[in-house]
Amino acid sequence: MKRLKYPLYFSFPAIAIFLLFFIAPTIIGVYYSFTDWNINADAIKFIGLDNYVELFKEPRLKQAFINTIIFAAAVTVLQNVTGIALALILNEKLKSRNLLRMIFFMPYVIAPLVIGYIFRAIYHPGHGVVNQFLDLIGLDFMMQDWLNDPKYALFTIIITDIWRVAGFSMVVYLAGLQFIPKDLIESSSIDGANYWSRFRHIVFPLLAPAFTVNILLAMIGSMKVFEIVMVLTEGGPGYTTEVFYTLIRTTFSSGEMGYATAVNMLLFAFVSLVGVPVLMMMKKREVEM
Amino acid sequence: MTRRSSLIALEIVAIALALLILIPFFMILVNSFKGIRESALFGLSLPTTWEFGNYKDVFKQDNIMRGFKNSFLISGLTVVCVNLFAAMSAFIIQRRGGKFLNGVYLAFIMGLIVPVSIIPTIKLMNELHIKGTYFSIIMYYSAVLLPFAVFLLVGFMKSIPRELDEAALLEGCGYFRLFFRIILPLISTVLVTVSIVVVVSVWNDFFGPFYLVTDSTKWTIVLQVFNFVTLYSTNWGVVFAFMIVVITPVLVIYLFLQRYIIDGLTAGSMKG
Repeated sequence: MKRLKYPLYFSFPAIAIFLLFFIAPTIIGVYYSFTDWNINADAIKFIGLDNYVELFKEPRLKQAFINTIIFAAAVTVLQNVTGIALALILNEKLKSRNLLRMIFFMPYVIAPLVIGYIFRAIYHPGHGVVNQFLDLIGLDFMMQDWLNDPKYALFTIIITDIWRVAGFSMVVYLAGLQFIPKDLIESSSIDGANYWSRFRHIVFPLLAPAFTVNILLAMIGSMKVFEIVMVLTEGGPGYTTEVFYTLIRTTFSSGEMGYATAVNMLLFAFVSLVGVPVLMMMKKREVEM
Repeated sequence: MTRRSSLIALEIVAIALALLILIPFFMILVNSFKGIRESALFGLSLPTTWEFGNYKDVFKQDNIMRGFKNSFLISGLTVVCVNLFAAMSAFIIQRRGGKFLNGVYLAFIMGLIVPVSIIPTIKLMNELHIKGTYFSIIMYYSAVLLPFAVFLLVGFMKSIPRELDEAALLEGCGYFRLFFRIILPLISTVLVTVSIVVVVSVWNDFFGPFYLVTDSTKWTIVLQVFNFVTLYSTNWGVVFAFMIVVITPVLVIYLFLQRYIIDGLTAGSMKG
């Protein structure tokens, strides 16, 4: 039978939308990052690398860059640790297992903006739930102004995001655990392998695909963090919780669009430089395992 | 320790952790029934006097219904757009192959990782004279969500035998009918997954409309929350009531469709 001639034009609507509304903004963004485009001025002038030169002189950018890396690294690690732990717990024959699975996943379907507002109240230094609880159990020396103390603000945001996404990782790992044959684990426990070595040598290698997916999604998602930080601290106190997207927001709000575009381009470069190689590397590694 | 008692201990730990998830929700629920003074204390105790007026104040706002309507309209149309166009292109990418389409596929995969450049997007919408319209925000969301949908659908399309196409075409069926009558019904389960991901992403998103929609009559419900908090942050009881009204429909739907929603939101990642 001769080769079927599938019509190419079937793919055109998707390509057109992607080209026009995803790729084109990135390309014109490169141009506008070299201009003094401002909301308060009519004319747009080409100013070469000025925006970037200005940016690299700013301590804010450096801070946003460092904080985004710290946030992404911490969230990626902690999200996976809590995700695996929860999955291992729920993989046992618990009575309330289905209910618990539903509860742990619940924050993931709520808008991050709303979660941010809820936690602003939870972390209130005077009478927020966290400090009230610490006071109640006699740990009042641990009470902090969680969001306004530069020492704790970023950490607090990280914990809040873990609260939001741990259930997602849990479900992905739970699904991965289903693929591990029960008798494999049973035979190893008869051989006398303890829980930890069973986990390390049998369960964990078989979880590799779930692990790959979780790491990649956590990294990419956390580098693009915005709402939670905006609502909880707006990047403050000082610039101690500034991340790329809050920096873009403040430069955007002040009307310096060319400048905001330059930050946007740096974020694009940063995520591509980290994300694309990780995607390639993890795809390769998974095949070998 | 016997196996039984260690299971019970584990269950207690798990329930304690689940309480950590539930307490914040409980906190806004009880405080949404408190007066202006008491709600500002963010406590977990029941209200001394139940203030149902908070909810009356919320429903007096006409922007809340408008917000729901906008969220519904925008996520609904984005679902149609993404499902249809992603399925059509995934069908051709997987079946036809070739240098051009492989390149397109690779571009979509890159689109899964890199962020969309939002500030230049504002400029683009301006130049196209569609800034702030429903159309522009739907196109923005479609562009952001197409990569994921194409990726998922191409993977699934492989499992549909080519012989099916050949048989249908031999019978004199055209490509349009082949796609709409035979292929689409076969991928309907994946389309449900795509729809769930699209609805959850669009419904909960703040980022897109914050930058792209300036006209407050077109704001989605999440943008209304933002606006409402800015206006009413002196009366937390009313703010919490507003949030309860916003998240309740989502939680009710989640409660009823949890299996599909959890599977849908994570299935996308499994194929990776």
